[in-house]
Amino acid sequence: MESIGASEARDHLEMVNRILAESHQRLCTGGEYFVVWGIGSAFVTILFQLVDRGLAPPTALWSVPLVLGACAVFSIVRGRLTRRVLQRSSLVQREFFNVLWLTLGLAFVVNVAAFRIFPGIAAAAIWSVAEAIVLLYIGMHGNRRAQVAGLLVVVSLIVANFAPPNIAGYILGAGMLVGYAGFGASELLARD
Amino acid sequence: MDELLLSKVRLGVVAELLNFDWVTFTELARSLEVSNGNLGAHLTKLLDAGYVEEEKSFVNRRPLTRYRLTQEGRDAFANHVLQLQSLLKTAT
Repeated sequence: MESIGASEARDHLEMVNRILAESHQRLCTGGEYFVVWGIGSAFVTILFQLVDRGLAPPTALWSVPLVLGACAVFSIVRGRLTRRVLQRSSLVQREFFNVLWLTLGLAFVVNVAAFRIFPGIAAAAIWSVAEAIVLLYIGMHGNRRAQVAGLLVVVSLIVANFAPPNIAGYILGAGMLVGYAGFGASELLARD
Repeated sequence: MDELLLSKVRLGVVAELLNFDWVTFTELARSLEVSNGNLGAHLTKLLDAGYVEEEKSFVNRRPLTRYRLTQEGRDAFANHVLQLQSLLKTAT
């Protein structure tokens, strides 16, 4: 029976640790998704606030399904293009994408199909909650920027709750822009 | 200790596969920096032991072989690493 000494065992363990550390690199988030959905959700939220205050005509709300649809189309097309890359992705990476699509998909459904239960600002708040979950999930895996961005979105939610109703939407929108889209932009910059 | 995993290359293969679903032969050879022939021989032993499973397919008319760790391989790896750690502990 073969055996190894302590120095060889140390050498083997160091190699294992190095391989595992490399495969556990920070989650590849696809910053472009965050930028697109951050801007899209902030646009919708701020538009609702503008219409609510009479600063934009109600007909402008027709742009909402178009913007959300464009975000969805972008995600599908981009997802198809990066499918081959994802085949090499780690299990935790796949888990992350599952969390991303599930939370944003649910927020999308809430906005489109449950608008009577979550009218106006409540729908925007649902987006903020979904975005905060995604960001904090990435943050849990060691991405410091995601932790900060997730906290920013949560803070925007709390501040919006106590702010006058005529500016709550702007605060939520700002949280989405700075937190969600901002995180995506920072990921893209870090990747380059 | 698991004799099969006393080889550094085979241990490296199992560690590489640990966090991924499927990894291609080319990617394994590149990341472990071993020749195709050497890697092929080690993978055959891991396949025979049931530690990894193999899938052969064609992508754009090119053959693609990829590997995945089995539960048996995962358990063997965990036990082996524990034993390496205890060996180190007793030696120090």
